[in-house]
Amino acid sequence: MSQADPARASAPSEYGERLLLEARQDADINQAVLQPMFRTGPAFWVLVTILGTLVAWGLYAWGYLVYWGIGASGKNRPVYWTLFITTFVFWVGISHAGTMISAVLRLLKADWRRPITRGAEAMTAFALMMAGLYPLVHLGRVWKFYWMIPYPNNRLMWPNFQSPLMWDMVAIFTYLIGSTLYLYLALIPDMAMARDYTGGWRYRLYRALALGWRGTEGEWHKLHRALSIFSVAIIPIFLSVHSIVSWDFAVTIQPRWHSTIFAPYFVVGAIYSGLSALASILVLVRRGMRLQEFLRAEHFNALGRLVMVAGMAWTYFWFAGFLVEWYGNEPVTRELIRQEVAGHLAPLFYLQMSANLIPVGLLAFKKVRTTPVLLLAATLLVNVGMFTERALIVIGSLQRNDIPFNWGTYRPTWVEVSIVVMTFAGFALLYTLFSRIVPYVPVWEIKEGRLRYTMRRIGRLLVPTAAEIE
Amino acid sequence: MAQDVKSSVEAAPRWAMIVDLDRCTGCQACVVACHAENNIPVVNEQQAAYGRWMHWIIVDRYWEGEYPNVKARFTPVMCQQCAQAPCEPVCPVFATYHNREGLNAQVYNRCIGTRFCGNACPYKVRAYNWFEPEFPSPLTEQLNPDVTVRSRGIMEKCTFCIQRIRRAELDAKAQGRQLADGEVQPACVQTCPPSALVFGDLNDPNSQVSQLARSHRSFRLLDELGTDPAVIYLKGGETNVPG
Amino acid sequence: MALFQESMQTAEAIDELHTLGIPDGQMTVITGVPYPERALGRHVEWLRLPQIVIAGALSGLVFGIFLAVITPHLYRLDVGGHPTVSFAPAAIIVFVFTMMATIVWTFLGVLWEMNFPEFGPKYYDKLVTDGYLAVVLEFPPTLESQVRQALTTHGAHNVYRPEKQPL
Repeated sequence: MSQADPARASAPSEYGERLLLEARQDADINQAVLQPMFRTGPAFWVLVTILGTLVAWGLYAWGYLVYWGIGASGKNRPVYWTLFITTFVFWVGISHAGTMISAVLRLLKADWRRPITRGAEAMTAFALMMAGLYPLVHLGRVWKFYWMIPYPNNRLMWPNFQSPLMWDMVAIFTYLIGSTLYLYLALIPDMAMARDYTGGWRYRLYRALALGWRGTEGEWHKLHRALSIFSVAIIPIFLSVHSIVSWDFAVTIQPRWHSTIFAPYFVVGAIYSGLSALASILVLVRRGMRLQEFLRAEHFNALGRLVMVAGMAWTYFWFAGFLVEWYGNEPVTRELIRQEVAGHLAPLFYLQMSANLIPVGLLAFKKVRTTPVLLLAATLLVNVGMFTERALIVIGSLQRNDIPFNWGTYRPTWVEVSIVVMTFAGFALLYTLFSRIVPYVPVWEIKEGRLRYTMRRIGRLLVPTAAEIE
Repeated sequence: MAQDVKSSVEAAPRWAMIVDLDRCTGCQACVVACHAENNIPVVNEQQAAYGRWMHWIIVDRYWEGEYPNVKARFTPVMCQQCAQAPCEPVCPVFATYHNREGLNAQVYNRCIGTRFCGNACPYKVRAYNWFEPEFPSPLTEQLNPDVTVRSRGIMEKCTFCIQRIRRAELDAKAQGRQLADGEVQPACVQTCPPSALVFGDLNDPNSQVSQLARSHRSFRLLDELGTDPAVIYLKGGETNVPG
Repeated sequence: MALFQESMQTAEAIDELHTLGIPDGQMTVITGVPYPERALGRHVEWLRLPQIVIAGALSGLVFGIFLAVITPHLYRLDVGGHPTVSFAPAAIIVFVFTMMATIVWTFLGVLWEMNFPEFGPKYYDKLVTDGYLAVVLEFPPTLESQVRQALTTHGAHNVYRPEKQPL
């Protein structure tokens, strides 16, 4: 039971909302979080079937691609990289929001992150799994992929650590391990809670995952230390991962790729698109799992503000890059900009700019941030814009180069589109299954948050105050 | 193998090619010869139009003007064998590397098909096997046993006919002599009717290649990018694209 | 084992148990929510975790340097325009492996410090996840009545002899 305080019982309702489920008993919170996990109605199974079908179709398309060759996709000379690499960068970008929320906000002691962290970390982990498929998909001889792994072999050949693709491989692997471990570590106490309340196969699963957690003081203390170390350690990782992905492009001398601003530009773009994706997912999950009392207006308000700020930062970096390219007036860059502004790439370019900039303006309004449908629309628009932005960078830039005879064009094929859709469906499928197996809301963190808040009287005002405890 | 062939006193050659645009007629005999020598597959018309032709040497052609005052301007372009090749450091498995003779070597067996090198090359001379290579019936009779046939998913490009270089070097070593200038001729050089293509050792100041390289007409493609290519063009007459 | 509903009561009870001569080492407090470290009047355990993490970071650094700087010389292949080993790519590889090792060692270190995983029977009560605070005590039988009195005066909800449950 929480610290019952007479002042709190009479707090005005707006603050009552903010006091993190003030009036609820711990047992009620446990049940409120566990019940949605057991509810698998027809809508759930329809969703799983549809997603499963899309994934299966995508796997068939991948098999087709491997059997017939990369020519089944729309690539050609000079556009050697297209939708696969675009979507790869997109997924790595999405993955950045999870760490932003759980690590950065944990260090900043922002309490509104508490109900969101697990959903965000799960988004990171699954986005990275989807991203990790693409370096395999786009290989011409995928059955030899293991040559990129450094192990002593009788070929006496070693992978090339000067290649950005090798940096990609280690960085994404590191980030995937880091975010999965982070997700799991924060999950252990809730696994113990779930273990206590369930039976059957669920009990066996949670028991195994809870690693015998009881909740002794020593255990909590160590968990806290580990989580703070994790939070600090994972921040350089997440900053470096998308920088490394951007250097896939920036280290070549391809015009418009060879730009020093790519690393921070991509990282900020990743934060922007990732936070927007997180907001979209939270709106959908809140509706689908009926978590309205855990994911409240205050959370979406704060998240929406963060998305807006990220959008403004993205605009700054985009402009810094664009200005320099336009002003320098180098011939191929000039031609590429001309194509974007007034040529055959123009529809995509204007889609990108409007879909990225309009939400920044929209999210300035509290009404938009706190109405789920409007927030969903704004953030989906952001993701469309960011995907288009990456497509323009990867596919658009390759169509022009230093020798005009080698200028090319690109048309996507069903194989590429199917595989891209497969990863979206795969992500959604993993996320849906995750929500039924793991408590979506980190219960112990919410209860911990409740300990911090009391009501205090300052003059005539009764305000909630947060205690400065770890 | 290269180490065996070179005697210890002689420095490794730097193979280079001269393309004399004044002599080039755009007949594309070099393209055909290259196909024949290097087991390059044929793609159909649709694929070629989409940019998936497999030519290791191609005659870049630009049309200028309106009929009847149309001019064709053309330049044969093959892998420039850059000394500072942008395609080499980006391969994750070292499928392309720089050998001691200044050649940008492509190891077909090692390539896993990431196509990073294709993006990095500013000349876009790298050809990728988008599908399993096909050699329609009589072509299978004239496959060159000195050159491997590549499978799908492998990047390939002009190698300055390294198989001919090696054969000449081995013959010379077996006979206990040095290579003479002009003894090594890639297929395109051998075939070119007006002798617009010349091949030789740039490290030998008396070779034909070195002499032509000192010409006042010489230039290199995209020199400003700093790739230090081994293919040197000589400015041509009216029908050819200047530098 | 005693179950309390409120932290202040628990802290007072623990103080009194201290005066009865039961050392901290024989007391275990189990909660469903992490309470700040000194809230219950017990000493804070000293952790070896920071040392484990630093050791992990160093091991990652060494491995990264080995991979990025030493192995290219073992499997020598020249590429145009770049030396065999150069600072910037090596720095990236070293950095990533250092961070990877740090993370993995943190995780393994915390598991090791907690003596995980143990699935054997342990003292536990499911009401802990409902917000109760549990205090498990080991004491000589002579003190039993005093201990019970101390616990109940401070509002213990339930005082009983626990059985080890499989977790």
